[in-house]
Amino acid sequence: MKPGRIIAKAVLAFAGFLAVFPLLWTALNSLKNSVDIITRVPRLVFTPTLANISYILGRDSVITGLYNSVVACGSAVLIGVVLGLPAAYAVARYPNRWAGDIQFFVLSLRFLPPVAVAIPLMVIWLQIGLYDTLPALIVTYSLLTISVIMWLAIPAFQGVPKEVEEAAFVDGYGAYSVFWRIALPVAARSLIGAVAFSFVLVWNEFLIALMLSSSNAKTLPIVASELSQQGMNVPWGILNASVVLLSLPPLLFLGVLSGFLNSVFRQKKN
Amino acid sequence: MPRRSSLPVTFVVPTLVILLILSMVPTLYAIIIALQNRELSSTAYSWVWFSNFFDLFSDRRFLNAVWVSVKWEVVTVVATMVVAIGLGVLMFEVASQRLRNVYCLLFIIPVLLPRVSAAFVWKFAYHPLYGIATYPYRLLTGGLIFDPLSKPSTALFAVASVDVWQWGLFFAVIVLKLLETLPPQPIEAARLDHAKRWQIHAYVTLPMLKAPLVSLMFVKMIESLRSFDLIYVMTRGGPGVATETLDMYAFSQGFIESGKVSYASAMAVLMMIATVITFTMLWKRVQA
Repeated sequence: MKPGRIIAKAVLAFAGFLAVFPLLWTALNSLKNSVDIITRVPRLVFTPTLANISYILGRDSVITGLYNSVVACGSAVLIGVVLGLPAAYAVARYPNRWAGDIQFFVLSLRFLPPVAVAIPLMVIWLQIGLYDTLPALIVTYSLLTISVIMWLAIPAFQGVPKEVEEAAFVDGYGAYSVFWRIALPVAARSLIGAVAFSFVLVWNEFLIALMLSSSNAKTLPIVASELSQQGMNVPWGILNASVVLLSLPPLLFLGVLSGFLNSVFRQKKN
Repeated sequence: MPRRSSLPVTFVVPTLVILLILSMVPTLYAIIIALQNRELSSTAYSWVWFSNFFDLFSDRRFLNAVWVSVKWEVVTVVATMVVAIGLGVLMFEVASQRLRNVYCLLFIIPVLLPRVSAAFVWKFAYHPLYGIATYPYRLLTGGLIFDPLSKPSTALFAVASVDVWQWGLFFAVIVLKLLETLPPQPIEAARLDHAKRWQIHAYVTLPMLKAPLVSLMFVKMIESLRSFDLIYVMTRGGPGVATETLDMYAFSQGFIESGKVSYASAMAVLMMIATVITFTMLWKRVQA
């Protein structure tokens, strides 16, 4: 083998190591007592403890944050599916002269700086008495989920072979039942990827949640960041455990999302 | 497709109306607030029209934040594209199909993490005394201390490295998939002409992928605007104002230091105008 190839392989292996090692190290630290974390030389061998994890799971603020995150993100994704998928189908299958503008409008929502949305919304929610409530967060997140799901679902519906749908029309299906019985099931795999992506996006969202909640509606990322505000006095093991808890849900979608990525590019190739 | 169906109207109109309301109400309201002098501590306010905007341009901290934001945007976008293209090409050249699948899975992991998590993971790793990333330095220098997050000259790059860790690795996967979609004939032809490997990529494959790569860069430019979570957790804009980007400064003006909501909103409105104009123009060019 040429030296160039060996170096190339080493660089790749190092990048692969770099991709996961910091996270694995955090997971490892969440199983350590403080004495094993605060060491000048990193320790690989130690007596594991579940104290950090049970402490995290036993705190009311963490459980409330988890509940808020699940409800807020779950509801927003549901609204995104109900409103975004049909609209995407209509844009994909019944293109008119506004189709391009609609797509650009949906994309341009992503250009808005989150601060520019969060400041006025905070004032608005304060005025109508919904500040620091889950409904306010759900409505705000819906803007994100609807637009992202629409943006990703348009190409997914365009990827459904037209002939299949036309055959269904010939068989006497109406426009709506073609959507329900043909387009949705055929595009399902890509659509699930789009929906999972929107979930990860709002689950990871931080700035808007920070500005729209003060005590009751805090989501998990806010609770986790607050643990660290108490400085380095908080045992590191506990902080690491909270990072692991926060990171697990998006990682559950790893398989779905990498499959989605593959299907997008397979479509492109054909 | 049937010509006369109510489907497009019933499917598109409600969604668009809701999106328009959800986006236009906060946008217009942001402009209204920016023209007033609201503060968090009281409900009284009056119209001050453009004085917030005039104040901004004589505010040195604001000008610093503009500069930091521009630096952040350039550093993260360029570094992400370099890492993505470099690793993507390497995978294409030396990794077997099975190994490619493994790398693709590994490289997607960082971008899935909440930015708050990524920020914490690296904040621990960069700790001068106990961090795993600073350990090699301590080992090699016999215990000297290196604290990247609290030196003004390195802090921005240390935070940017986390952003590149998340997006550069992810985009490497996309670059690889793009390379895989290319037809093999031009590469074969170049090889028959005795072109070197790197020449094939520099002069054949990457120019063929120009359009998707530009789109990819466009996506990264938009996502780089969302730097707040990383900076908030890792440095809070510090040391001093070395990593204080516009959204960080707007947040601290509006909510931490003085509660000047209108002043913060004026900043946000300027950001919004700048990004909407820039990205609309870029998008039209990318599409053309």
